[in-house]
Amino acid sequence: MLANVFLKTLRDQRRSLMWWGIGLVALTSLTMAFYPAFSDAPDFDEIFEQMPEALTKMFAGEFTDLTSPEGFLNSQLFFFVVPLMFVIFAVLAGSAAIAGEEGAGTLSLLLTSTTPRWRVVVEKFGAVAVATLALALFLWLGLAAGAVAVDMDISLLGLAAASLSTALLAVAFGAFALALGCITGARGLSAGAASAVAIAAYFLNALAPLSDALTPLQKLSPFYYFIGADPLTNGLNALHAGVLLALTAAALGVAVLAFERRDLHG
Amino acid sequence: MSAVIQLEGLTKHYGSARGIVDLDLEVSEGEVFGFLGPNGAGKTTTIRLIMDLIRPSEGTARVFSLDARRDATLIQARTGYMPGELALYGGLTGIEMLKYAANLRGGVDWAFVEGLAERLDCDLSRPIGTLSTGNKHKVGLIHALMHRPELLILDEPTSGLDPIVQRELHRLLEEVRAEGRTVFLSSHILPEVESLCDRVGIIREGRLVTIQQVEALKESALSHLEFHFAAEVSADEFSSLPGVREVTAEGTVVRCTVSGSVDAVVKAAALHEVLDLVSHEPSLEQVFLAYYTGESGDAG
Ligand SMILES: Nc1ncnc2c1ncn2[C@@H]1O[C@H](COP(=O)(O)OP(=O)(O)O)[C@@H](O)[C@H]1O
Ligand SMILES: [Mg+2]
Repeated sequence: MLANVFLKTLRDQRRSLMWWGIGLVALTSLTMAFYPAFSDAPDFDEIFEQMPEALTKMFAGEFTDLTSPEGFLNSQLFFFVVPLMFVIFAVLAGSAAIAGEEGAGTLSLLLTSTTPRWRVVVEKFGAVAVATLALALFLWLGLAAGAVAVDMDISLLGLAAASLSTALLAVAFGAFALALGCITGARGLSAGAASAVAIAAYFLNALAPLSDALTPLQKLSPFYYFIGADPLTNGLNALHAGVLLALTAAALGVAVLAFERRDLHG
Repeated sequence: MSAVIQLEGLTKHYGSARGIVDLDLEVSEGEVFGFLGPNGAGKTTTIRLIMDLIRPSEGTARVFSLDARRDATLIQARTGYMPGELALYGGLTGIEMLKYAANLRGGVDWAFVEGLAERLDCDLSRPIGTLSTGNKHKVGLIHALMHRPELLILDEPTSGLDPIVQRELHRLLEEVRAEGRTVFLSSHILPEVESLCDRVGIIREGRLVTIQQVEALKESALSHLEFHFAAEVSADEFSSLPGVREVTAEGTVVRCTVSGSVDAVVKAAALHEVLDLVSHEPSLEQVFLAYYTGESGDAG
């Protein structure tokens, strides 16, 4: 696990990944345990419809049919709480990758050990991406096990597509936090600014449909490309996934260019 | 002999603050070069520029005739570096940290690493976070030496080391010198540089003041002697002796500031009954004063 920067960074994340995985599995199993109650009581849909539209949009988007398996999972997990957890995980990992080591002072030795700066950034990004994908695997396994346990009629491929879409969204924000860290060298600032942008992007996607004027702006939010095409029901949308990958690549490019140019703090 | 380090007009501003200004310097192969200056003089700035951790505002740094910026990784492969503010992976053991560093460098002779650890009496099996400052320093030194680099760059390597380890470090540097490798070390302690180095560059407020052979530096260095005599002695007996810069007499106590050899002063004092003799190492500031005031004699 100490063979290169990529593996060392993954190693550094192993404990955090384990706890996030446990939390995610706990969250999904707990939520799934409520599914039989929802599906047996179609009244839930009516109750949900009577809630203020802004409120339901805020935390469930367009997913208002709670009693179908897809509607239940999308509204209860995939629209809000699961991407929230994933984005936080990836933002923390992305801001720690360069800015965290820089703040700790260990980057001085790492960057004088013959690995070029661009490769340090790319390998660290790779570790953040792989850790986030591993978290998505935990999510998928937890959901699949839960679906079997509560006898939910849901496609395992659909679950995989939604889990992967979540990971792609989170990796894009992780790369954004990494880029901020590469530009500023300040870990807290990078994590905070990336989180703030993620929150704004979330609400833009959730609430833009409420106003005709704002609706076109929804497509500016990365969250739209994560959930807008409902990957749980329709599988991964290649175009939307492509947008998330392109955002990630752009952030990584900025990260490398900025980091190559600037002075190391210390 | 070819230049291992070559700085030309090297300048670094931090925003509007001065880092270093127009530094020209050459260090030859096989030389142990001391970079001496008080805190804030610009030693760390210079070293970080050489290591490509920061980038010059103007001027160039070349190492092994390679460009410090463009060929950084090639230079790093042949250089061992110990930063002034050493930070290691606290969560790793010494072995893990050094294995990681060795892997990044494509492997090192591990028996040599173990030999270094033994000589420095450094326990590599403990997590670095649990080590004392001195022991962390040892891990940092092993890290800098482990790939037998042609050039060693050490930023104030002995600060924080206990005397026994300092002596071991001195012995290691002797070996490095004997093998014809090059050392560039910074320090703010004159005697340390005098005992370790062949040549010394003095930096002050970002500018190189002088570069001297250590011998010459010692000659022009000031020493302070304080004689306690049994009876009153006049200052006049010392004031015209060679090398004497300043004399004060207070009753039976005479204080002399001497540049270079103290021989004449000691012999003159021996004509009287000497109860006690106190000698002070010249401080770095006094060494600087010796340069700034030239030979005018009004130093101190
Ligand atoms: N990152 C920085 N930002 C602003 N000023 C700095 C920075 N690093 C060093 N300096 C300033 O540059 C000067 C030289 O510092 P330094 O190279 O660390 O000196 P030394 O190592 O000789 O003690 C000092 O005046 C210091 O305050
Ligand atoms: Mg310093």
